[in-house]
Amino acid sequence: MSFWEVITSILGQGLWITLLTTFLSAILALVIGFAGGLMRLSRNKFVRFIVGVYVEVFRGTSLLVQLFWIYYVLPMFGITLSAITAAVLAIGLNYGAYTSEVVRSGIQSVDEGQIEASIALNMTKIQRMRRVILPQAFILMLPNLGNQLIELFKSTSLVALITLTDLTYQADVLNATTLQTTQIYTALLIIYFVIAWPMTKGIQILERKLTEGRM
Amino acid sequence: MTEPIVKYNKVTKYFDDLQVLDKIDFEIQQGEKVALIGPSGSGKTTFARLLMTLEEITDGTIEVEGEYLWHEKNEKGELSPASTEHLRKVRSNVGMVFQHFHLFPHMTVLENIIEAPITVKGKKKKEATKQGKEILDKVGLLDKADVYPAQLSGGQKQRVAIARALVMEPKVLIFDEPTSALDPELVGEVLEVIKDIADQGETSMLLITHEMDFAKEVADRIAFFDDGKIVEDGAPSEILYNPKSTRLKEFLERFMNTQTP
Repeated sequence: MSFWEVITSILGQGLWITLLTTFLSAILALVIGFAGGLMRLSRNKFVRFIVGVYVEVFRGTSLLVQLFWIYYVLPMFGITLSAITAAVLAIGLNYGAYTSEVVRSGIQSVDEGQIEASIALNMTKIQRMRRVILPQAFILMLPNLGNQLIELFKSTSLVALITLTDLTYQADVLNATTLQTTQIYTALLIIYFVIAWPMTKGIQILERKLTEGRM
Repeated sequence: MTEPIVKYNKVTKYFDDLQVLDKIDFEIQQGEKVALIGPSGSGKTTFARLLMTLEEITDGTIEVEGEYLWHEKNEKGELSPASTEHLRKVRSNVGMVFQHFHLFPHMTVLENIIEAPITVKGKKKKEATKQGKEILDKVGLLDKADVYPAQLSGGQKQRVAIARALVMEPKVLIFDEPTSALDPELVGEVLEVIKDIADQGETSMLLITHEMDFAKEVADRIAFFDDGKIVEDGAPSEILYNPKSTRLKEFLERFMNTQTP
């Protein structure tokens, strides 16, 4: 097999699963991250405690183990999930924990004076958050969110271990049948890089667009 | 005589164990312009921030237009802490201009001004824009309507901040050292705008300042703060040229010394 054939063979069958897993778990992580970040700033001690426990548990244990646990252990409690659902859930929850910290610190980095100005204009708490704090916090979060998206994308290679036929899985299969190990894993490296790079660039462009002339 | 627009009654403020305001009684009449002077740390900024509800009151009451700001009366006539709705209702009479402007950096000048009329007062965008442009014209910045705050000078920023506060039509407008963060050559344009508002009369003003000449020119009354108390309170000419207390005398002397090189 030529190098080019190796690449197309991996891509042809694995690309869709990798991208789908990335997309769905990134959405889940973002939703959980924003909800968790806001809850961490709640006045309610109990709410803060619950989110704190979630963040520590998911940051403090390995994503691979979480993936195995959700896919192989949950069925013992009567909860059987498809491989893709388990993958999205594990990655989303894991990265959601990190994202909630990014969101929390982003919100806290917005200048206190912005809150005071919006109180002076008699905005409600929700208006303050939605119109003044979050739009500014989002820009501050963007570089970190971008890093996390790249990390998340790369970590989807773990889903090969719960039978999902992603890029890495296809490479493994190809390696087992052809034994062209050097070519196959070099091709895999290149494929991941070629997908990750535009993501990095895209975030940078978005950041520039949002800050142009304003900050 | 008409009711005062603002009435402080034995207002006390502590930050943890540190007392910054000590049982202050104080009134502002309808349309009255009051300047607050005093050394830094004397409590004058905290005094004003209580009226804007940026600090919580420790003890005593503040009334705005005859209604308690920090409290609500229950059926038995007892005072209890105000609900958020009550606080917002009474707070709508008060506006504030900050030392460091605090414009919203992600909004254009015009968007900064029409934000609260639309979200808080529920005005139509078209109407708010028309009104916003009129006020921008008043502070001389109509040509900057579509520019972001980052592209303005300090003086221009503060004039936008003044327009943003004015558009909410507050009964009382607080100015917290509005020129202290500005380069000397930009102070004049901001003072001019404040003077214009003062000359129009209706809005009561609480002006914290170190610009003694300006205080004398604009204020109907000057209150001198020291150590959490109002030590003297009277007509500008009395306060500045005929101080009674030694503390005010010392303050003015120190002040004049640092002003003239």
